[in-house]
This record gives sequence, C-alpha cells and structure tokens, in this order.
Amino acid sequence: MKKRIRFMFLAFIFILSIGLAGCNNDSGGKKTGGESGADGGSSSGGTLVFGRGGDSTSLDPAITTEGESFKVTKNIYETLINFGEQDTEIQPGLAESWEESADGLKHTLKLREGVKFHDGTDFNAEAVVFNFERWKAGNAEQFYYYNSQFGDVIKEVKAVDEYTVEFTLNRILAPFYKNLAMSPFGIASPEAVKKHGDKYNENPVGTGPFKFVEWKRNDRITLVKNEDYWQDGLPKMDEVIFRVIPENSARMNALNTGEVDIIDGVNFSDVESIESNPELQTFYRPSLNVAYLGLNTERGPLKDKKVRQALNYAVNKQAIIDAFFAGAAEPAKNPMPKTVAGYNDDVEPYEYDPEKAKALLKEAGFEDGFEIELWAMPVARPYMPDGKKVAEAIQKDFEDVGVKAKIVSYEWATYLEKTRVGEADTFLLGWTGDNGDADNFLYVLLDQDNIDSNNYARYANQEVHDLFIKAQSTNDQAEREKLYKEAQLLIKEDAPWIPLVHSEPALAGRADITGFKPHPTGSDLLATVEFTK
Amino acid sequence: MEISTQKQMPPAVQAEEKVASPWAEAWYSFKKNKLAVIGMMIVLFFILLAIFAPVIAPEGINDQKLDARLQAPSADHWFGTDDFGRDIFSRVVFGARISLWVGTFAVMGSIVIGCLLGILAGYYGKWIDAVISRAFDIMLAFPSILLAIAIVSVLGPSLQNALIAIAVINIPNFGRLIRSRVLSVKEEEYIMAARAVGMKDSRILFQHILPNSMAPIIVQGTLAIATAIIEAAALGFLGLGAEAPNPEWGKMLADAKQFMIQAPWTMIFPGIAIMLTVLGFNLMGDGMRDALDPRMKS
Repeated sequence: MKKRIRFMFLAFIFILSIGLAGCNNDSGGKKTGGESGADGGSSSGGTLVFGRGGDSTSLDPAITTEGESFKVTKNIYETLINFGEQDTEIQPGLAESWEESADGLKHTLKLREGVKFHDGTDFNAEAVVFNFERWKAGNAEQFYYYNSQFGDVIKEVKAVDEYTVEFTLNRILAPFYKNLAMSPFGIASPEAVKKHGDKYNENPVGTGPFKFVEWKRNDRITLVKNEDYWQDGLPKMDEVIFRVIPENSARMNALNTGEVDIIDGVNFSDVESIESNPELQTFYRPSLNVAYLGLNTERGPLKDKKVRQALNYAVNKQAIIDAFFAGAAEPAKNPMPKTVAGYNDDVEPYEYDPEKAKALLKEAGFEDGFEIELWAMPVARPYMPDGKKVAEAIQKDFEDVGVKAKIVSYEWATYLEKTRVGEADTFLLGWTGDNGDADNFLYVLLDQDNIDSNNYARYANQEVHDLFIKAQSTNDQAEREKLYKEAQLLIKEDAPWIPLVHSEPALAGRADITGFKPHPTGSDLLATVEFTK
Repeated sequence: MEISTQKQMPPAVQAEEKVASPWAEAWYSFKKNKLAVIGMMIVLFFILLAIFAPVIAPEGINDQKLDARLQAPSADHWFGTDDFGRDIFSRVVFGARISLWVGTFAVMGSIVIGCLLGILAGYYGKWIDAVISRAFDIMLAFPSILLAIAIVSVLGPSLQNALIAIAVINIPNFGRLIRSRVLSVKEEEYIMAARAVGMKDSRILFQHILPNSMAPIIVQGTLAIATAIIEAAALGFLGLGAEAPNPEWGKMLADAKQFMIQAPWTMIFPGIAIMLTVLGFNLMGDGMRDALDPRMKS
C-alpha cells in the first residue's frame, strides 16, 4: 500500500513536470521565432516562406483545376492579360495592347518585346501559338479549363509577325479577355514542354518573377528570383518557399514560432489573437466567393421545390457568420458575390423563419419531417474555414424544423468525386471565382450542361439555360447583366442551393511584411512582397 | 517473530469462522483496500451520473446558442460553454452514458466471444487450438488502436462501429486468459471424475470449467473497461467514433482543441471526466485482482 501511494505521488509529480516543461517551451519558442524570422532583415531580398493547407497537384497550370496549384504557378508563369492588383479588371500582361474586330470575332494582341523564358529562350508569337495548339490538341480530361473556357470557341490562333498574335473565334465570347487572364492560361516555354514531355508538370518553365527550383511533394516547393525578369526592381525576394501544413492550428503555430512568414486559411477564431500580437498582422482577401449548401435536386424529398425552399428558410445564416466567420462575411442570397457585374440585388432573400419552413414542409407532405444526409467537407477551404462546425450548426437548424440530418464526411478528393456524381443529399461546397465574370459563377455552377461537372446540385432548368447561353454570345454588357439578373430570380425560386455566405478569407503574416496584396481569385503574385526592417 | 505471528492469528481464525463463501472473503479483503474502494466510489458516481443524466443536466446535449459561445465557467454554466454555446456540464454528464455504455458493452462482447474461443482452444486442443491461438497471435501483433481504426474505416465511422471495433481488438486478451485457465483446470481431478462418469463435454465446460475460471475474467474485464473507454475516446478524437452532435468525451476534446488557448475549459472538463472514470476502473480492477488472486493473499 505505502509503496503504491509513493509511486502514484511520483507519477503525479512526473506528469506535472511534463506539463510545466511544455509551457516553458512554448514561450521560449515564440521568442526565438521572432529573431530567426528577421534573417532577411534588409530592405529587400531574403526568403519568404508561405504556409498553406494543401500541396499543388501540378506545376503545369494548364492541366489542373485546383487552387493550391495556381498559387504557385501564378509566380512562375504569366498570362497574356493580367487582372488588376486586387480586382478582376483586365490589364496588360504579356500582351501590351489588343484590338477587337467590329464583329467581335477577331482579336489581335500585340506582345511585349524582350521577354525571356527562364530557360533563356525568347517569348514571342510562336510561343503563344505553340501553347494554344498544345491545349487545343488535348481533350477535356487533360486540359479542363481550356476546354470549358475556349473549347469550341477558338477557331484559330496564328502568329502575324514575331510579336503579334491573332485569335479567330467561332462565336462571340463575352469574357474572352477575362478568360485569358486566368492562371491556367500561363504561357509555358515551348522548348521546355518538348524537352520534358510527360514530366513537364514537375519542371515548369515560364516568364514570371520566380524560377522553379525544387518540389518535395506534400512538403515544400522552392522558387528563386528570376534575375532577368522584365519588370525592373522585381521581384523583391530572393527566394520563396511554399510549405504545406494541413492543420489550421498547426499552421498558426508555425507562424507564431517564425517557421513561416505568411499563412493562409486562418481560423477566424484566431484573428483576435493575431491582431493583439504586435509581431503579426492580418490580411483579408477581397471576397470573390460563395459558400453554399447544395440540395441535390434528384434525391428523395429534395426533388420537391417546396422542401428545398423550406430548408432555405430554416437556416440562420447570420448566426453562422457571427460564430464561425468572426463577422468577416456577408449572408448570401444569390449564387455569386456583389462585386460581380450582373448581381441582382432585388432578389428577396429567404429570411430565417423556422415557422415558415415548417409550414412549407407540411404543404409538401412532410409534416413529420424526414431523414437526410448532410455532407461536410473534411478540409478548410478559403470560403469555408471549418465545414464540420458549420454543418453542425445547420444540423441543429434542420432539427428545429423536424428534419433529421446525419453529418457525413469523406477525404477531400473522394468527397468531390462523390458529390459530383450525385451521391450526396445535401452538401457543403463553395466556389472562388476564376475571372470575376458572372458566367464563371452561374453557368459553371448551375447550368444543366455542367451536371456531372461543377453543377453538383444537378439543377436543370431549360429557361435558365437559355438565358445563360444568350448572355454568353453577346458582347453588350448591359444586355448580359439583364439576362443574368433574370436568371438569378429563377434560381432563387427553384432553390437548388442554400446560398450561405460570401466571406473575406483571412490570412496572417509577420508585421514587417509589405506589398502583400491578396488577390480575390485566391492566387497571389508575390513579386512585390518584401520585409521592411 | 513469535509475537507477530501470534498477533496475526486471531483475525485469520475469525475470518474462517465468519466468512462463508470465497466471494464474501474476496469482498472482505477488497473493502480493506482503500484505493480500491475509492475507485469503486468513482465508478458508482459515474454510473449514477449516467443513469440520472436527464435529471442532473440543466440543458440538452445540442441546445445551441450561437450568441453565447465559449463562455467561461459561471453560475449558469458550471463548466462553461463550447463553440456552439452548448452547456459543457450537460454534455459531460450525458457523455458518461456514452462512455460507460461503450466500455461495458464492448468488454462484454469481447468476454463472450473471447471465452467461447478460449474454451474451445483450451479444452479440445490439437488443430482447433492451433488455429485459434495463431489467430489471436496475429491480432495481438497489431497495435490495438491501429486495428480498431482499420475496423472502423471498413464499417464506417459511428459509435456503434467503434464499439464493435473495441470489442474485436480485446477478444484475444480474454481468449488467451481463459485458454490458459482451461488448460490447468481440465487436469484437475474433479474434471477427470466428471469425465469418468460420462458427463457431456458441454456440461463439463459450462458448469465446471467456466465457473472456475471466472475470477480472472472479472478482474481483467474491469481493467479492460478502462482501456475500452480510452480507446473509444481515442476513436472519437480521431473522428471515427461518435457522430455529431453526440457528446462523446473524446470527440469533445477533438472539437475543442482549436480553442485550447482561448477557452481551455472546453478541453479540461471532458479530459478530467475521461481521466476520472479510467482511474476509477483501474483502481477498482487492481483491488479486485488483489482480492481474488489466491497468490496475493499470503
């Protein structure tokens, strides 16, 4: 007996000392972190470490659709047209100027002279033609974005002279220039593509401010300064490293200890502690996204429009925003954010009203409610920092109107695949715009053409489809906006989604970072970033 | 020396006079072990908590108040609130139901199946023994939590499947224990006698061998409940156990870990609950082993 008591006492002391040692380490780590972070403390140069949640799937932007990849390729490649610094207005990129023919079918682009690829070869009209021919030759599996944005539209791309390219289109494509500015259409070095063949996605060569050095999968991607970059004085950093740290809180810790300099996917609950820390600062990405709960229009009770509307009334969006987005979001009523031209502000939102929801369910014959699956994504997304928590809040909202939801989650790739083929009843998803055009939200996410693709709710409405196609084939902006506004009214009535929020994703970094401008599309150009200390 | 032996004599004699059955004798020595009694009281406390949860808990398990998130412990919310504004005290109290339910039934499941297999292996021997014993060896070669994760991933994550997984991984422990008991008991003379008078195998097994092997099973079972509760919490923590919004303690820990710094009470109370129940079962199990093991009585 005595022995055992002594043993337990010792064990207790031991546990206590481990706990105390842990505390010690923590504060010690913070201090050294501040110092080691100041390594590249001069006004420019040094290494910038960017911590993010997932690894790239490819370093050839043309063959991927996934945002983590574009974050890196945005800094290796350049596009013919650029987006504005923090908006999606079109600006000169590798093309200095452009001209459109009267019928809108011919576009002539004048290219920048004296630009070189990282492998020393020249950037010219031939290189542009080579890239477009390459994308055109592949199928939708290979070059998804080319096929969805330009597939049947671009008839011919030809080099008029060394620095002039002419595009001939089959039909008018309203967002033609905005599409050209999208990351997947970064111009690659023809020599490198020929040389590396299948392995090109691991050996990217572009004209951008940084050159590729090394890719350790699921760990880090290293880029170095492109000394011959055509813009004088850029980039500021000598080296950029993208590090993968999947867990939000672990990434936050890495920033605290100085292991990384900038992180994305910051938990909104951490914002307060970042702001109170003089060594750190927060950044907000301008909102170009929507998070929604998709209602599969082909499954069970959800086939009934009244049920879908009822569920729309059941969800308390404002409470979700206050709790999980720290207020840095707006409740959504349309499938696209306000900043997109064509947003219909006259749409009456479904206000939070459980009684109305119950009444509608009763009308639809589900007075006693029903059981349903509620899918929640397993990973933090820019538009949805914590899917499982939001799902739990919605689960409770549904329960209040008599709908019993079971929360289901799969590994991310499986989750996307299963929702794509229509296995989910209701599912959390979202979208970050690629080019800020209404077409890129409405047509991509809700047109019947895109069932089995990005139309996860499997929503089909011929009337809406006609509006979308009409809007695609005119260059008259006012007319397009009118068509999209009309479509939003119809979509609201059919309720294939519960639009949840448009959020401003939070990022955080060291306090001495300047020149970091988070881009609404989610891929940030790091050329102007520097440490001021 | 002489004095001390003399002093020890009277209680022994007394015990022999008063105590009728070996179980009562065990209870007598269990009672003398203070730590064991404390353990039993902790266990009883949690059992009562589980039974009377609806009476004790001031709120339901999923009464969300999103405007009262992460509130520190106060008179209204003894253990504070979590990130959905739910009362943590209520959730911990209801969580006792889940943990005790999983612990008890998982262990009962493994006892039943483990005993059957162990008896078969021990009594019949030969190839049956070889097959069953090697199967146990294989199962014991896996780290138990890994095996549980594998089973849950196959069956799909839910509380019930976590229970099944925990039951399965504990089978070989009981199987081996009972097999070794059977091996020694079946050579006893009274078994020989039973066989000599032509008693059927099944009767020998279930009326003589099994009851005589029960003591170590009870001890092992009590200790195994503690492990099972920890395993259930681990699975819950990994997102493979209870589903939202069930207040399983391990899951509560997982949900709370991002608020560890700003709202430590979201982790501390479920953590303490796990620690106390497991400690209770362990102390009680230790005491029972001391009380029931004849070798410890000298």
